[in-house]
Order: sequence, then C-alpha cells, then structure tokens
Amino acid sequence: MNFRIKKIKALPALVALLLGLVLIPFIYLLFRASEKSIPEAIDLLLRAKTLEVLATTTALLALVVIINVLLGTLIATGLHFVRIPYSRALIIPTVLPLAIPSYVFTYTWMALIPALSGLWAAAFILVLTTLPYMILAVLISLRRLDSGLIEVARSLGLTKPAIFFRVVLPQIRSSISAGALLSGLYVMSDYGAVSLLRVDTLTVTIANMFKSSYDRGAAAVISLLLVFASLIFVSVDQLIKGRSISDNASKRSSVKNTRLSNPSLRAATLTLTLTYALLSVLIPFSVLISRFIGNPNPIDYQRLLAAATSTILVSAIGAAMALVIAIPLAILTAQGPGRFAQFSERVILVGHALPGVVIGLALVSLGVHLGALYQSIFLLAFAYALLFLAKAVAATTQALQLVPPVLREVAATLGKNRTSVTASVVFPIALPSIGLGALLVFLTAMKELPATIMLRPTGMDTLATQIWSYASISRFNDAAPYALLLVLIAAIPTFLLTLPPAERGNQAEIDSMSSTAQKMREPV
Amino acid sequence: MTSLSVSNLTVKFGARTVISDLSFSLASGEIAALLGPSGCGKTTLLRAIAGLLQPSAGTIRFGTQLVGVSSVVLPPHKRSTGYVPQQGALFPHLSVAKNIAFGLDRNTLSKKAIAEVVEEMLELIGLTGFGERSPQQLSGGQQTRVALARALAVKPKTVLLDEPFSALDAQLRQELRTEVVALLRSQGTTAILVTHDREEALVSSDKVILMREGRIVQDGSPEEVYESPVSPAVAASTGDALILKADRYIDGVTTYAISKSVSKSAKIDSGYIVIRPEEIRVSRESQTGITGTLVHLDYYGHDAMLSVQLADATIIKARVTGSIEFTVGDQLCLDHAGPIRFFAQK
Repeated sequence: MNFRIKKIKALPALVALLLGLVLIPFIYLLFRASEKSIPEAIDLLLRAKTLEVLATTTALLALVVIINVLLGTLIATGLHFVRIPYSRALIIPTVLPLAIPSYVFTYTWMALIPALSGLWAAAFILVLTTLPYMILAVLISLRRLDSGLIEVARSLGLTKPAIFFRVVLPQIRSSISAGALLSGLYVMSDYGAVSLLRVDTLTVTIANMFKSSYDRGAAAVISLLLVFASLIFVSVDQLIKGRSISDNASKRSSVKNTRLSNPSLRAATLTLTLTYALLSVLIPFSVLISRFIGNPNPIDYQRLLAAATSTILVSAIGAAMALVIAIPLAILTAQGPGRFAQFSERVILVGHALPGVVIGLALVSLGVHLGALYQSIFLLAFAYALLFLAKAVAATTQALQLVPPVLREVAATLGKNRTSVTASVVFPIALPSIGLGALLVFLTAMKELPATIMLRPTGMDTLATQIWSYASISRFNDAAPYALLLVLIAAIPTFLLTLPPAERGNQAEIDSMSSTAQKMREPV
Repeated sequence: MTSLSVSNLTVKFGARTVISDLSFSLASGEIAALLGPSGCGKTTLLRAIAGLLQPSAGTIRFGTQLVGVSSVVLPPHKRSTGYVPQQGALFPHLSVAKNIAFGLDRNTLSKKAIAEVVEEMLELIGLTGFGERSPQQLSGGQQTRVALARALAVKPKTVLLDEPFSALDAQLRQELRTEVVALLRSQGTTAILVTHDREEALVSSDKVILMREGRIVQDGSPEEVYESPVSPAVAASTGDALILKADRYIDGVTTYAISKSVSKSAKIDSGYIVIRPEEIRVSRESQTGITGTLVHLDYYGHDAMLSVQLADATIIKARVTGSIEFTVGDQLCLDHAGPIRFFAQK
C-alpha cells in the first residue's frame, strides 16, 4: 500500500453518511412521486399543460445557451486576441454582473420598461445574468492556450480564420461546454426572472403547484422531470469534457506576439463588450441608484438592517455546513480514483442538478416532521449547503490539490506523523483556498431566492425575499435599498476574487482567475 | 559497520512487479549511486527505504533495526531518513529557516537550540543570511541546497537523494554535486543518490548499484563496474563501450576485429569483447596495428571521438585527447592496449 493514498479507515463510512444526507431531497422526490401510479404519472407528464411548459422551458434554454455560446465566445476571443487599449479594465464589466441575481436584473429593467414580459424578455434577462460564466470560462482556457501552437500554425501557412477554427476552437471546446452548462443550469433553476416576467417554466410550475394545490405527488413528478432534464444537461457536458484533451497548465507562452491589431475586429469587440456593459452594469446600477435617491418614502433602516443581518447569518451558516460536508468528500476525492470516490462524485453531480425550488419543496415537506428544526434558519441553511455543495467540494478539492503528495512525504520522513503533517503542511497551504471557496458559497447563498422563499422562518426577511416581494407588486422604489445593498455586498468580493492585484503578475492572475471561475461553476 | 541492508526486497504495484528480489548493503558513511534507465525502479526502491511505500516481500534494516518487512512497516516519520525528492519540494508556505527547522523536535529542543542548528545548516550550505527568504525567492540550485539542509538538520542515519540535480543546467549541476558530496562526506552520512547520469554515478559514489527492470545487475566500486562489467549491456550503461564479435581459442588467445594475435589451436568459444574507446591508441603509422579510414570525427573540446572504418566495414570508435591532428579520410593505425573483456555468447 502506498503511503500517499493510505486510507483513513472511518472516512468511507463518514462519506456514505454525508452522501445519504445529500440525497435526502432526491430520495424524498422519488418516494413522493411513487405515490402516483405509473398511468397517473404518464398522464401528468403528457398533459397539454405539462408539454407546453416543457416546450417553453426548452425554448428558453435553447435561446439563452445559443446566444451565450455565440456572444461569450466572440467577446472572450475578442478580448484575448485583439489588441485593445485597457483590455484588462474591459474585463471588469464582464465579471461584475456575477454579483447581480436574475431577479434584480429583471426588477431594474421592469422599472425602466414596465411592460416587459414573455419569453424573449426572459431570454434577454437570463443572457445578461449568465453571460459572465461563459466569457470567464472561455477567457481562462484561452489564457491557458500555448501561443506557440498559433505561431506554428502560422508558419505552416494557415490563415487567421483557419487558425481559429482548426487550432483555437478545438482546444476551448470543453470550456465552451462548461460555460453552456453553467448558464443552462441557471436557466433551468431560475425562479426570480421567469416568474416576474410571467414565463411558465418547469421551475415556476413546481413553485405554483407547491403554493396552491398541495398535490405533492404531482409536484414531485414534475420535479423529477426537471431533475432529469438537468441531469441530461450535466451528462452532455461530462461527455464533451471527457473527450477533450486536458490542457497542460505548465506550458504557456506569451500571447503578446499573436495579438491582432485589425481595426474592424477591435471595433467589433469594443462594441460587443461595451454594449454588454451598458445593459448589464450601467443601466441596472443607474436605475437602482435613481430609485434609491428618488424614493419619496422614508427608508425603514431597521428593517433593512434586520434583513441584511439575517441574510448574512443564514448564508454564513449555510456556507459553514457546506464546508463541513465538503471536506470529507474532497479528502476522499483527493486520495485518488476509486469506485467509491467516483460514486460520490456522481452523487454530488446529481445534487448539482437539483434546482433550488426542488430542494425547497423537498425540505419543506420533510421539515414538517422535523419538529423544532422546521421554521428554523438551520433548515434554510441546510438547503443552501445542499444547493452549493458542488461548489464547496470543487473549491476544497482544488485547495487540497495545491498540496502535492511529495510535500507530505518529505514531512513524514522528517519525523511528522499524519496528524502533524496535516496541521503543519496541508492546512496552512490549503486553508486560504478553502476559505475562498466558503466565501463563494456564502455569496451565492445570499442571492438564492426560491428555496429562501419556501424555507425561511415565518416573519424572517432576507434581502432577496424583500426585493422579491416589493418587485412582484411593482413597488420598485421600496425594493431599491435592499437590491443596492445586496449587490454591493456581493459585488465587492466578487470583484476582488476575480481580479487579483496586478503585482502578482500574469501567472498568478491566470491561476487565480481559473480557480475562481472553477469555484463559480454553479449557478444561483 | 553495516548501516543499511536490503534483503530480497520485492515491491509490487497491483499485478506489476516493480522491484524483484533485490538485495544490497551499505557500510556506515558509504555513498551509493543508484544508476539505471528511467522506469527501472530506482525511485521505488528509495521510497521503500524511506517507508513511503510498503514492500510485498523482503526486509529493510537500518543497522540491526528492522524497519521494513512485508507485514509490518515502521512508518516514515520514525525512520530518521533524510529524503531529498526531485526538485527539492520545499514547503512553499514556510521561510528557508523554517523549512530547515521543520524536522527538529520542538518538544526536546529549545528555540535557541533550533535557531543554532538552522544557522549552522545555512552556513554549511553557503546560504547564511537567506533564512528569512521564501523558497520562491531562491534559484534552483539554492532550493536544492536548502532541501539537503532540511534533510541533514535532523541528523538522519541515511540520506536519500532522488535525482536532486536533474532540474539544473550542466555546469551548476556539476558544481553542486561536488559540494553536496563533500558535505555528505564531512558529516559521515550514509547516502543513496538516485541518478540516470552515468558520470554523476561514477564521480560521486563509493559504490555504484546498477539497476535494470527492478533488479540489480551489478554493484561495486565505480572502478569495478566501469573496468569489469558483468555484461556488454552493463558496460554500455556505465560509459561508451565498443562491443565487437570475438573468438576464444584453447591456447588462451582471443581474436577480434582489431586484435594482433592469431591462434592455431582449436576454438572453444565465440562471443563478444568489450573495449572502452579510450583504450584504443590511434597513430598514423604502427608496426602492429590494424589500419582503417577515418570516416567521422566528433570534436568535444577536451577530447574527440574518432570513427574508423576497417577493411571489413566494421566501425571502430576511439577516443583521443589533446590536439587533434587527423582529418576525415586519413588512413590510421589502431592498437588495442586494454584488458580483454570476453563474454561468451549464450
């Protein structure tokens, strides 16, 4: 047996227990859905209404993903390959929208255009919301591209468009797929934007069934349909990822010599980027600020403070829970491939595909049997932990991978036992990155809407629920302070996490960008 | 006194046998070079000695203490081996001084004592004043030296070096190698140096252990393995070797392409003879030598390798030192002046 993969004996048992916890909502759904007989379930699934909702969801998904793939690839390749003054600064507006949840986008645009509604409006809003995932994913893989390859292709006589299609595109394909997955999962699980814009997607239907009829079996069947659709999406991405060449992070050369100075390309890139910045940053922020300043009613600062406090509190507990669950899973994954590790990765992937509304639905129904836990912030925090577990596991696994086995081996030969190696080598190196991962879970949880609406204790408001309740009755002025506060709290760390200080140099920037984007791989 | 002995060691990774039935021992203070092509099991052997992996069979002893057998294994942290992996592997979150102090026991040593050891080590490796730097601020050679100091600080019984110089350029590599060997000798430490560089193995060790496919093919002093290889393949792995077909006769005469003698007695064996290129004397005129045409010349500065083609098309390589007075096309006389290393064909 090898020292570096020597197993901690209790670990598989612990992980199995945690996986059981992760699977609770899924098992609950299966259990509830099984209350319906098969003909009943088929009938439910083939109803005209269900098919219509499925068609709407698919159309929205296709629209957003296709627009994102095109725009995201264009903007990212433009920013990377075209010589543009201040191109570093231009990345900021493509990153900043990550701090703004879909329902805040919707609310600011509805404040501007009250008649905004329908499929195209929803597609517009969701593109604004999810385009950064796409741009970041592509930009990072472009930065990892060895520009030597481009120079070789040039020397072999390829034209620039041919180089793009034959050399660049095949290597960024898996990142495009990853970006598409992120935006697709966001679209499928989004509740805020689509319900404000009155588009009946699967998520909205499930939430409505939950609110009105209380036919839990029927809601569970539709939820399973949604989970199934998400799983298909996840598996397609896995398939594409599995087939593509893994990028070799060690060999990167400067891109400087391969930048293009073509004026029309520069104009096109600038137009696209600045239009996106205008629509996703400038207009929403100016609406928020003008609504905030122009509000004739006095702001209830006590309520604002209470909402902010509970948002921070419950998100922090959720992040801590996610971390507690993630660490054993990450240790298992870091110990190397194995059947059990593979199984646990699959389970996390299933969890990844469970939208907030489904987890909310499952936990509400289970919560009734949980006594004191029901209607407590811990159940909501647990929902956050489940929703963003994949993010926490990814961050923790990456953090542990920062500690190469040889460091642990050297420490062992220098007389340190396992505990002492962990304390003196593994944790000091991995902890900052694990902390960043927890921070990201925290930030994402703050913006979560559907599970929060379903699971918050009666009488407790968060920033998200306040924005939601004001916006859904068109009281835009009253929503403004909450939205502004939420976006500001989320924007500052998002900004800092995504753009590392310049003095750390290009290499550090790439590494940090890539790890941040890796951590951002799950939508709200 | 025996410091380290490995007996009948076998290491398997699943169904693959990486080391099979391997035995050797080192005297206290002896420096051994483990030489072999990549993938032959050198690093695995080193890791088994360090306790980083468990052997499938066999024993490892430090002195008289049994540290590794297939069933029980003394964990690495209780073995007191100084392990210097490839490229050093310094702890990136610790300063140079803290890296060196890493293995020193804070429970038994006072802060002052630890600081003294660190100072002493920094002086030993010629990096006094570098204690507060972070590993990232050091050059490759400096990092290797710190990794060695970190290993030596705990006064290990055995130091294990896994190609520590492989990332360095040729000149630095040579300088650092000389320094490190001198350092190990001054401390009287038993050491194993893994390398795939034959010159490095010969110049820095008391004992060369030649490995191939998980087995030791020969071990002995550098002179022994170079001068008296056990097979033509071993000869080729320790230096340039000319391998020629040869016949051996009852009266003790061996004939080969450039041999002077002939025999009238009966042939008893045919096989190969191994000649080192420096054992061939080259001249323009010779009474006894075999003649050939100079067809190629590789000039290295301090010496040159000549390729001389004989009448039967055999190419003979000969090394000459000093200034070169030959040009391609010259007729040259070859004279073999070395030992006859005959290996019968199996």
